[in-house]
Amino acid sequence: MLSPYRVIDLTDERGVLAGQMLADLGADVIQVEPPGGSTGRGIAPLFADRPEDSIYWAAYTRGKRGVTCNLEDGRGRDLLLRLLETADFLIESSDVGRMAELGLDYESLHERFPRLIYTSISAFGQTGPKAHYVGSDLAIWAAGTPLLMTGDDDRPPVRVSQPQSWGHASGDAAGGAMLALHARHQTGRGQHVDVSAQVSAAQATLAQILAYSVGSPDPERYGGGLKLRGVGLRGTADVHDGHIVMTLAPGPAIGHFANHAVKWLVDIGAVDESLAQEDFVTYADRAAVGQADPELFPRVQQIMREQVATRTKQEMLEISIEYDLLLVPVLDVVDLGASRQLESREFWREIEHEDGRVVTYPGPPLKVYLDGSAMDGRMTPPPMLGQDNEAVYGELGLSANELASLESAGVI
Amino acid sequence: MTQPSGLPEGIGPLSGVNVLDLSWIVAGPTVGRAMADYGATVIRVESPTRVDTARVVGPFHADEPGVENSGLYGNVNAGKWGLTLDLRIAEARDIFRRLVQWSDILCESFTAGILGRWELDYAHLREDKPDLIMLSSTLLGQTGPYNTVSGFGSQGAGMAGVQYLVGWPDYPPAGPFGPYTDYPAPRFALAGILAALDHRRRTGEGVFIDQAQAEGTLQLLAPALIDYKNGGPPLERRGNDDPQMSPHGVYACQPPEGRAESWVAIAVAGEEQWQRFAPIIGAEASLALQDRRERKDVIDDQISAWTRQRSAGEVESTMQTLGISAHVLSNTEDAASDPQLIHRDHLRRLPHALHGETVVEAPRYIHSDIPATPARPAPQYGEHNEQILRTVLGLSDKQIETLAASGALS
Repeated sequence: MLSPYRVIDLTDERGVLAGQMLADLGADVIQVEPPGGSTGRGIAPLFADRPEDSIYWAAYTRGKRGVTCNLEDGRGRDLLLRLLETADFLIESSDVGRMAELGLDYESLHERFPRLIYTSISAFGQTGPKAHYVGSDLAIWAAGTPLLMTGDDDRPPVRVSQPQSWGHASGDAAGGAMLALHARHQTGRGQHVDVSAQVSAAQATLAQILAYSVGSPDPERYGGGLKLRGVGLRGTADVHDGHIVMTLAPGPAIGHFANHAVKWLVDIGAVDESLAQEDFVTYADRAAVGQADPELFPRVQQIMREQVATRTKQEMLEISIEYDLLLVPVLDVVDLGASRQLESREFWREIEHEDGRVVTYPGPPLKVYLDGSAMDGRMTPPPMLGQDNEAVYGELGLSANELASLESAGVI
Repeated sequence: MTQPSGLPEGIGPLSGVNVLDLSWIVAGPTVGRAMADYGATVIRVESPTRVDTARVVGPFHADEPGVENSGLYGNVNAGKWGLTLDLRIAEARDIFRRLVQWSDILCESFTAGILGRWELDYAHLREDKPDLIMLSSTLLGQTGPYNTVSGFGSQGAGMAGVQYLVGWPDYPPAGPFGPYTDYPAPRFALAGILAALDHRRRTGEGVFIDQAQAEGTLQLLAPALIDYKNGGPPLERRGNDDPQMSPHGVYACQPPEGRAESWVAIAVAGEEQWQRFAPIIGAEASLALQDRRERKDVIDDQISAWTRQRSAGEVESTMQTLGISAHVLSNTEDAASDPQLIHRDHLRRLPHALHGETVVEAPRYIHSDIPATPARPAPQYGEHNEQILRTVLGLSDKQIETLAASGALS
């Protein structure tokens, strides 16, 4: 879909997913790294058999081409400017102010490249009192408010064990850049898109970041759920081989799922058949005015917990689908690797690297059909350092001699 | 882009783009919200006979639960026009089909197969409208053995592995806050839809997007998945531990008056940062990363002894002055007074018919040339029924009356 467009991707580990999202939608994305390699090439996890090779970097450069360019050097900057003649998008995630020091900030480039869509990803945004703060996954999650809401109530708040903040910010960068592309269709001009990872992280609060502003109490952290006004609501249950996520509540929005659960309990003989007559869609309203037994629903919950505890994650998934319950297993990484659902959707992709290794990757995030026929993401291996120098710079008209001289001067 | 919408057009790059938003709760509506912010005309279709869960989840205005009081519903539906339709009624489906003709983009998040029963799935709709762009967004996608599994993003979090990966090694999974798959999914969907719109303007072709929300979250776990699929150990939850940063954690601070607790996040990256950090807590500056990780418990105690004597804000500013990443764990009151969020005008006040005023989050990016903001608060149930039926579809008062009598508008 985006095949007419070229993206110059200057991001490091903070923002490297954004370009890949555009690549999976068809854009020609060229990752530009310093000649010594991006700092992203050092981010864990590392391939067990090749500890100099970052899985993190591979994960998010799959589908891109790669060149090297030393932006500290004037000749490198000139080379980048020539490359930008061919580009629609630039994405960068350097420390705020760094691009300006290099003369490569939006203001400097906009006059020369008025159609260029320039997207900046940073921890707190390009301007403001915290623009120069040192960002990190943990600090961003703290500043965006999801961190305080997450964890067990008798332990400190806790993040996701695979860092998430820059991924959310990258997702917003891709969307923001695409909106700017549509603006360019209207005006003929590119513009600057300023993404703040703090703001992106706030998305992970289910709008609870608004609680104080609209006059509601903050939810508090609680293992497997949340705590509101000091009352813990657990959304998980123990099963024989792990845990499930189980939502069981009366009410107009989801009470019918509770009815389904009762039907299952009746079918397995765990509760009396007469219980199937109860309607949990209207139960709460009736219980509030004394027309339904307030002890009934807690009893159903308790019986449900007892019943699921004797079964496995897989058994409960099958039952959940058969009866239409709000209940799924808590899958671990091993389960995901063996997931029949993912296998059926051909989610895992084997990609041969330039050195002959075959590495399994997640497929693209969307299944896209153009006029009825499937379009795939870009399933090319992550580029080795400077892999496409010759091809990309060659297209700009640089001769083999010029490239050799740039290389020996440490520019590429 | 197509025929005039009949509703006042929005301002921005998507002005003239018509969106029919049949999705619900968070993952889908968030996509429509973003398009509305940037000028698209978005009609949110819902039915009070099956209450959108977002309407009954807080935060509520003045802490008062109610289907017109939810800040969550307000946040993900601001800027849209509201129409109520009960698609179980044939007359409602007729109206819906006519609105599909009006639309450029249709977003929906019904359980896979449901729209097909009404012949409102992509295969049917594209017969009459071949250039339709349609997003079908569900937890696990349109295909596969478990494609019909019901659930919220909380179920998605379980199926996407993220529930398992939050918490402590010696505790059951704590899980992320809320329905996690609802957070990454709209980003992927929005980029996909906007690419489809670009593709269509060049080729005239329609596009169908099958989104498995869980597969979006898996993109954010990709490094761990690739590691395991290629012979590495499966990632386990590890508290706030980081393999490449130490110290790295959340530390208790002196709470301000009226609060039971207060925390600060500190992430020390690299040897130089450690050498600046160590003297503050009285630790040995020569310790290498591996040594620090091995003595994590001792060092964390030293840090806590220091942070407990100070406010989180003081720790944040001391650390940042030293070039070390740190931030207060903001609660939502802190967020409302965070000078950085204020600088970005992140919490926007909008006039509201019922509440006088409501608050929504700003768009998630700042464009240098587009002053994007929601033009109006989220619709109340059926708020724009008459306006939409009259101006978009050209129905007469009499026809609207008949329609209402059929039950289609509930």
